[in-house]
Amino acid sequence: MILLAALAGVAVLFALGVLVSSDNFYSALFMSVTLVLVATIYAFFSLQPVFVLILFIFVGAIGIVTVALAATYRTAPEQQVSWFWAIPVALTALILAEAISFYPLDGSIVPSTINFQLVNFIPHLEYLLLVVFLIALVLLLLLSVLRMGVGGRS
Amino acid sequence: MPAIDGTSLSILLATSFTILLIGYLTAISSKDVIRLLISLEMMFGAVFLALVPLFSVAHLVNTAFAIAIVTIFASSGELLILISAISILDRQKRSVKTDVVTIGGDKL
Repeated sequence: MILLAALAGVAVLFALGVLVSSDNFYSALFMSVTLVLVATIYAFFSLQPVFVLILFIFVGAIGIVTVALAATYRTAPEQQVSWFWAIPVALTALILAEAISFYPLDGSIVPSTINFQLVNFIPHLEYLLLVVFLIALVLLLLLSVLRMGVGGRS
Repeated sequence: MPAIDGTSLSILLATSFTILLIGYLTAISSKDVIRLLISLEMMFGAVFLALVPLFSVAHLVNTAFAIAIVTIFASSGELLILISAISILDRQKRSVKTDVVTIGGDKL
């Protein structure tokens, strides 16, 4: 419990670093650390397959590409947060807090110990089909990006 | 293996909501596409965190894993699209700032 709270607290601190840093490069680094901590929370609950997916694909590929992009186009952006945004943020937080506090715990969905095995996921045909479609989607997007980057004029 | 009790659930959801809120604030304060990309990935991170409790419900475990995979693919697609946007902005406007985009949509 204490370890989970510490992990979550440090993740929020690094996420705040993304917001307050005026340099995109440091923001990207803070974002990567936040995502690594999110993956660590999965490891805390022994969800190793998801931990590996997040750490190696989400952070290892997408996060590092973002860091590289931020390092390439490194400028100091101006902050333009208006304090008027505090009003809808506070209102939303209030509504959410009230909804959570009055949520009826009828016991239909009871959280318990996590027992997850990847072997139960793989035999489902519809999930495999979903993964194949998603890979096809990413490949199509990748081909478009490559075409644009190599020689295409849009 | 640690169990998810009410306190753990509260910590996870509160952290997820906080990171999501920080992602929103970063998005609305961003003046270039790189920062927008960073904020979107923060939002995906919050989604991942909110998925953890689903793994504790026996009949939702596979669904939760499927949502995690869809989220990773959605994030990959978002990265590719934003790389295209950065490439086009840099080539046409010589800048990656969002204020150089004056109109929305596409000209056919």
